[in-house]
Amino acid sequence: MMQSKKAEPANRSVLRTLTIVFIVCCCGWFTMELEILGVRVLSPYFGSAVYVVMGSVIGVFLLSLSAGYMFGGWLSRKANSKLLLAFNLIAAGAWLCAMPFFTGSVCDGIFNIGLDEKWGSLIAAIILFGIPTMLIGTVSPTAVRWLTKQASDSGFNTGMVLAFSTAASFAGCIVTAFYLVILSVQRTICASGIALVALGGAILLQAAIQGRKGTSNDVQGK
Amino acid sequence: MCKTTLLFVVCAAVVLSAGFAADNDLGRLIFQKDSLYHRIFVSRRGPVVSLQFGRRSPVAIQSQVNLDDLRRHMLEYTELTFCGLLYQPQPKRMLVLGLGGGVIPRDMRHYLPQLDIDVAEIDPEIQTIARQFFSFREDNKLKVHIDDGRMFVKKQLRLDPVPKYDLIILDAFNSDYIPFHLMTKEFLEELKGVLAEDGAVVANVFYTNRLYDAEVKTFLAVFERCQAFYGAYSDNAILVAPGPAGRMLTTREAVEEAKMLQSKYDFAFNMQTIAKRLRPNPRPDRRARVLTDDRAPVNWLRKQQRKASPKSTH
Repeated sequence: MMQSKKAEPANRSVLRTLTIVFIVCCCGWFTMELEILGVRVLSPYFGSAVYVVMGSVIGVFLLSLSAGYMFGGWLSRKANSKLLLAFNLIAAGAWLCAMPFFTGSVCDGIFNIGLDEKWGSLIAAIILFGIPTMLIGTVSPTAVRWLTKQASDSGFNTGMVLAFSTAASFAGCIVTAFYLVILSVQRTICASGIALVALGGAILLQAAIQGRKGTSNDVQGK
Repeated sequence: MCKTTLLFVVCAAVVLSAGFAADNDLGRLIFQKDSLYHRIFVSRRGPVVSLQFGRRSPVAIQSQVNLDDLRRHMLEYTELTFCGLLYQPQPKRMLVLGLGGGVIPRDMRHYLPQLDIDVAEIDPEIQTIARQFFSFREDNKLKVHIDDGRMFVKKQLRLDPVPKYDLIILDAFNSDYIPFHLMTKEFLEELKGVLAEDGAVVANVFYTNRLYDAEVKTFLAVFERCQAFYGAYSDNAILVAPGPAGRMLTTREAVEEAKMLQSKYDFAFNMQTIAKRLRPNPRPDRRARVLTDDRAPVNWLRKQQRKASPKSTH
């Protein structure tokens, strides 16, 4: 009896860790998938002066992630960080699903203002990809917070989150660049959006079930 | 065993000698530079200068001129692009995307001295190289604009009134093929905006792989009509799409028109031979899909060979 009672929480904690790692991996994947597709989306509007469009997209992704990390760190201190994170993922997903409807008008609009390829592609990348990338970026710090039970674990957990997220980014980058580019770009972005909404939805659902049970074991105490 | 070894030696000898011969074909490397876009090679053998991107493969030549005889077309496709004149015999303004060694604009400028030519070339190094090694000269009627082809067209569309071109020649290649954003439906629609009603779009493509079907299909989707001229010695095909007021040609009409052009312009090459390369009604494979900005799997299609040669199935 005693043993089985102890084993159950251990199993649950492994499951919990795996779930958090899975969420982190998804976000790592989508970040790089979007980055590669971002270059592909912008080049018809701003040309194949490759380094210009590529530089803009990569730069904007880094800046957005940096904002997302900061924002995510701030969110992780909130009591309802799980709900906030789920909303972030749903918002990012919804943005991606809606993107096909405004990509053309945004890019043409920017081009027609008379901006050159450099500033034009930079501003277009900020408008199109800034917000969803920032929202996806909020996941990592929150995940670290969820995994960390005591201060001495913080380094290990941070390392684990970064490692898994970056490995998944590698996979997303390669698979997108080698294979997904064969498909419709807008549809791939839409499908990723739907996946993010589903992920956010699943987190909400889990939070709701847990809330009903009244056994919130989400990062108890301090 | 002995036979196998002998066979191997013979094969090796053939491969090696072919390799050397091929290397010698283009002659000595006289210039090499890494620009923003390509690794550029310029080779010279006697009076013949060749331009290559990416690798010094004897089959992938971007441009070639004979400095002793500038009127001679060293590559079949540059000559074939003159087929545009069969559709628009008196062009006043012409746009060329992709400069290379400048063979097409220079020769057009030579035969049609009244023609105003704009060339859009993305790589400033190519402009320098064309001047330095390929005896290319710009003047008030032949201007090179350093810009991405698509961006150049978009900027023309922004002008009021939009300038119209009677002939548009698409010849923008990188070391692999045409950049995808210069093949899509959206691009061709933008191009249509700068094409005169009775003008023609002339595109240099390759017909041996499945990308060709997609290109024909895309041309048909945008311009509704399209004809092709297939190279006799190369894998190049020239796609021609006349503007809404332009006409389609039968092979006979093309040859007649060529005769008139030949006597008018006195080309150093034979215009009638070009006209005879016409296949009036190229049909893309049924499975082919229009290339769009959203979906243009160009590398994937280019790796797949076409089943039937268009030459036999016109």
